[in-house]
Amino acid sequence: MNLQPGEELPDLIKHPTTRQLVQYAGAQGDFYEIHYDQDFARSVGLPGVILHGLLKAAFLGQLVTDWLGERGTLKSFEVSYRGVDVPGKPYRCRGKITSVSGQRAELEIWGEDPDGNHTTVGTATVEMNS
Amino acid sequence: MTETPSVVDRLRAHVGTPGPPSSAVVEAGHLKRFTEAIGDSYPRWLTEAPPTFLVALAPVSAHLPEAEEYGKGWLNGGNRFEYMEPVKVGDTITAIGKVVDVYEKAGASGSLLFIIFETEYFNGHGRMVARLRGTAIRR
Repeated sequence: MNLQPGEELPDLIKHPTTRQLVQYAGAQGDFYEIHYDQDFARSVGLPGVILHGLLKAAFLGQLVTDWLGERGTLKSFEVSYRGVDVPGKPYRCRGKITSVSGQRAELEIWGEDPDGNHTTVGTATVEMNS
Repeated sequence: MTETPSVVDRLRAHVGTPGPPSSAVVEAGHLKRFTEAIGDSYPRWLTEAPPTFLVALAPVSAHLPEAEEYGKGWLNGGNRFEYMEPVKVGDTITAIGKVVDVYEKAGASGSLLFIIFETEYFNGHGRMVARLRGTAIRR
């Protein structure tokens, strides 16, 4: 295992669309209207339909598992949603290693909107195969 | 808002009490629809659940009608996922969820209600495969 603190994960850039939000609503079974009904979303003070937090969590999970491949296992991850994101704008998922201890590594992970705001922030723990 | 404290108190009464277990089989077709929806084509996910799939099998948050008396909408504040064993196509997964905390916080545009849910997922052998936590916010 050659992981080093400070190592950055390759970026994962997602291009969510309203269609994808509907697709995700169906696949997850979350039919809260703020994810597909513009009028409803505005009526509760949102700029329009927004990405599901759990869709952004899925993107960040993929960031880690794409980088990890078959070299190890994702043991845990945690995310906080700090801002809303709207479809039609690229969503950039990033991460870096913060510490390494034996076979385990801790990562900082986050998702950025096109203005560079970290609208999702979190951490992940991975265990590398011996 | 004189009714606000009572909503919080009524929700607090749920803390620590597990909800009814719900069971579901991990189906290849559901996995495929889920991975297509999130746009993750990693081949292992044809037969194994990707990191967030369990929320599609059994939601991490329960429906609490009294929470909807507070504020006008829901927001997801955050999620935590812990994994003990992989979940594969054909597994029967049983989820047991509970409310672990309820509290109010002052926000920039009024008060917010936080409800923390925790759900444990077990496989057919009775072993816990994952534990998920979700922070639901009413605003």
